[in-house]
Amino acid sequence: MSNLLEVRDLSKRFTSAGGPFRKARSMHAVNGVTFDLPKGRVIGVVGESGCGKSTLARLILRLIEPSGGGVNFDGDDLLAKTPGQMRKLRARMQMVFQDPYSAIDPRYTLTRAVAEPFEVQGVTPAKPMAEEVADLLEMVGLNPGLATSYPHQISGGQKQRVGIARALALRPSLLVLDEPTASLDVSVQAQIIGLLEDLRAELGLTYLFISHDLSLVKYFCDEILVMYLGRVVEALPDTSAPARHPYTRTLMESTFEPDPKKRRLIAPLEGEVPSPFDLPPGCAFADRCPKASALCRSETPELSADNGHAVACHHPI
Amino acid sequence: MLSVRDLGVAFGSVQPLSGVSFTVSPGETLGIVGESGSGKSLTAMSVMGLLPLIGGRITGGTVEFDGADVTKLPERAYRKLRGGKIGLITQNPMTSLDPLQKIGPQVDDVAKLHMGMTGAEARARTVEILGTLRIPEPALICDRYPHQMSGGMKQRIVIAMALAADPDVLIADEPTTALDVTVQAQIIRLLDDLVKERNLALVLITHDMSVVAQTCDKIVVMYAGRAVEHGPVEAIFDRPRHPYTQALIACIPRGLDDATRLTGIEGTVPTVLNYPKGCPFHPRCPRAEAICAVEPPEFSVEGDSAAACHFAEVAHVQPA
Repeated sequence: MSNLLEVRDLSKRFTSAGGPFRKARSMHAVNGVTFDLPKGRVIGVVGESGCGKSTLARLILRLIEPSGGGVNFDGDDLLAKTPGQMRKLRARMQMVFQDPYSAIDPRYTLTRAVAEPFEVQGVTPAKPMAEEVADLLEMVGLNPGLATSYPHQISGGQKQRVGIARALALRPSLLVLDEPTASLDVSVQAQIIGLLEDLRAELGLTYLFISHDLSLVKYFCDEILVMYLGRVVEALPDTSAPARHPYTRTLMESTFEPDPKKRRLIAPLEGEVPSPFDLPPGCAFADRCPKASALCRSETPELSADNGHAVACHHPI
Repeated sequence: MLSVRDLGVAFGSVQPLSGVSFTVSPGETLGIVGESGSGKSLTAMSVMGLLPLIGGRITGGTVEFDGADVTKLPERAYRKLRGGKIGLITQNPMTSLDPLQKIGPQVDDVAKLHMGMTGAEARARTVEILGTLRIPEPALICDRYPHQMSGGMKQRIVIAMALAADPDVLIADEPTTALDVTVQAQIIRLLDDLVKERNLALVLITHDMSVVAQTCDKIVVMYAGRAVEHGPVEAIFDRPRHPYTQALIACIPRGLDDATRLTGIEGTVPTVLNYPKGCPFHPRCPRAEAICAVEPPEFSVEGDSAAACHFAEVAHVQPA
């Protein structure tokens, strides 16, 4: 199986502007992320707010410029491309955003919203545009009769379907899904996830699925990357692999089962995610970790693999 | 302790809520679940006597607190109850706190107002409560502003405010929806402990069936402004009898041992202006028949639970 996407040591450092009373500070939003995404697979990236998962998504599509590392998409080194070349390539790598309410221009009819990618790319579809749009709407389970509606006339779930139709318009091979269901009701979330499963099978798509919801990621993805403060702390080769990093275990224990017979004793994980600015040396999770030792506070653990299951921890479980 | 019977709410001629009933006793957690737009928050606002603020009124039914109907209480008397005997925790801790005031005075105000404490007494109480909520260095926190704190910490402060006057009933409206999973787990654990330690009656409003399964003793499932099923939590999860409850449970991804495909529910929650006739769920229901579009179903009782469905007797026999 060949890799559609190869991410190597990808990093992004943001620096806050200094002022007369404040020194400029910098933070590593994404720090040395490396992984391969084979064609046709679904990799889930899971973590809490501020862990860098959305920044990672944007770096991969080069919507923001990385500070270091490389991204290889289907044999092309993305960082070597000019903006013009990037734009052409993006026809094959598309993104679905978290908030369908702000992803579509409120003044556009659905027809225009779905046709916009063709305009931007200067591509003339094989069929007449009206037919193409109708096909796309149907593909995402929308009634083509809605084509003349405006975004405010449809529901949140329908809007997210339009967002997916736009992303699919140019027949991409990679979809980056950034929390596509986080703003939707559970019933609608289940519809959208079902749609994404069908589309993947039908069109042979490859997904990078960003989410904070571990049970959803376990349900939907083939492999899981767990991020904490900009780093991948664990790469689970399949969704049944037991957690080896204490943070992953905490995440799993914080996720409830929809079954009153499987109540959990919630282990009180102390503290919260520290500020990403001026992190102390060593493992970023050390202050909250029950297994932390002196080594963890001085030396950052590297991600090292054992049978394809990589973990960045000095004392893995 | 708190008993709501056949509650109806109207805004002008529009009736978004009708026939909602539940009771909750000390030491007990009741979950109210449903999709957005099903009337969960409106139920909370009715119980808190806040409807006049948004132009609504109670058109029927009773809200009994400690045996006395409070729906007819004048606003002055309600003020003693609200924040005093009944505490409210809202969804968004960012908007529940005054951004211009330090944490300490905001929490102090509750005890001053409801318990007639002096400033020093109230502060001592604030520090004590913050301590029981496992907030590190409570005395220092009192001098902080809300923007200096994380979301989870702010939600704890909101809980502290709700607890400051030592209420008997706590209403928590989506208390963890805005929080990360590990913080959600901490807050849920905290609420659980409070119910046990203080013998509180907790009404937990949520859209998340997994949170309900984890914490509640009994649940009310709401759809389109009506209660459609209620009962003990084990019974409802074991044998959900209303197709809407079944569908809600089927929407949640389970662990790996269950490879069932997520199905979702076709269509969307109707808006209050076009609630369907008959059973409100019939346009989205896989099991609907002619009668469902005409006649509103009565509750069919089985043990301690009840479902408002014409086919409740046979519903659970079908594969979920």
